[in-house]
Amino acid sequence: MSCSPLDLKDYLFGVLTEAERRQVEEHARGCQACGEELDRLRLTEAALRSLPDEEPPRRIAFVSDKVFEPGWWQRFWQSGPRLGFASAALLSMAILVHGFLRPVPAAAPMATDTAAIEARIGAAVVKAMTESEARQALKLTQLVADTEKRLQFDRQADRVAFEEAFNYLQKKFNVMYTASADLGGSR
Amino acid sequence: MIFREVEDRDLIAKAQRGSLEAYNLLVSRWEKRVFNYLLRLVGDREDALDLSQEAFLKAYQNLGKLEDAARFAPWLFRIAHNEAYSLLRKRKPEGETLREPSEGAQSFRMFPVELSLAVRSALERLSAEQREAVVLKIYQGFKFEEMAEILSCPVSTVKSRLYTALDLLKETLAPIHARGVE
Repeated sequence: MSCSPLDLKDYLFGVLTEAERRQVEEHARGCQACGEELDRLRLTEAALRSLPDEEPPRRIAFVSDKVFEPGWWQRFWQSGPRLGFASAALLSMAILVHGFLRPVPAAAPMATDTAAIEARIGAAVVKAMTESEARQALKLTQLVADTEKRLQFDRQADRVAFEEAFNYLQKKFNVMYTASADLGGSR
Repeated sequence: MIFREVEDRDLIAKAQRGSLEAYNLLVSRWEKRVFNYLLRLVGDREDALDLSQEAFLKAYQNLGKLEDAARFAPWLFRIAHNEAYSLLRKRKPEGETLREPSEGAQSFRMFPVELSLAVRSALERLSAEQREAVVLKIYQGFKFEEMAEILSCPVSTVKSRLYTALDLLKETLAPIHARGVE
């Protein structure tokens, strides 16, 4: 009978921790009964392990046979795509359930949203129009200024042309007057 | 050991996809262990071989149910265990005659063959449950948790069976101890 603080068979089968193993070994060194019991257990295990394994009389092998083979469904279920199929099915189901169970938005918040959107659109339109008008006004001002400048230039050109024509006529009149005076004096 | 485990895992995955070639390779790796386990449970070579074939066939047909390839060994031995007990239950009505060790077994000189005979004889004196616990631990090297999975019982029960068996074997083999194991 063993008086070891820990089971000697636990020691034999390697169940104990390293510290517990040392504890058993120390006890077995100091206790003759436990030392002998441990020796007997070791000898028993060694005797059991001396029994050799036997070779099977024939090799076991299977040939392809419909009886052995799993069905197409079993093969599919045991195959790699199984996970993909399951994932796709789960995802489809989740989408379907979500579609059915999604709460319908209340009318009031929707109206509020529409009004807000319309207000934003209106503000954007007003802003765009204002900017466009400003651009048009600037363009018009520039156009008016250009036109006035062109008219002024034209007027100046007309005046110069008139003055030239007047001077030409005046000179011609003077020539004619002089010629007539000369003609009258000679008579 | 790690490489072997990885290769087994690959073979299991291929076999699960229907590769009989991969499964036959897996069988060739495990048949000796399964055969010896069953032989030590039922004590007859032909029965052990038939049971091995049945166990491997059932394992192939149910391979899809094995989710973790790392648990292949306990799972396979659980199937083999069920096959063995199915046969042992059939045998039972014919008489639970456990062969008693011959008188000479305890007195002959311990040459290796004779030692084997003495050990076999001592194993036969155990109950089927005790013998199976010894076979799974000593000869197949399973951990207590794996043994509990194979035998479908708590670890405490497994340890109890094994330790009781070891005490009985220690007594039965005491004359061998006196002469020393060669």
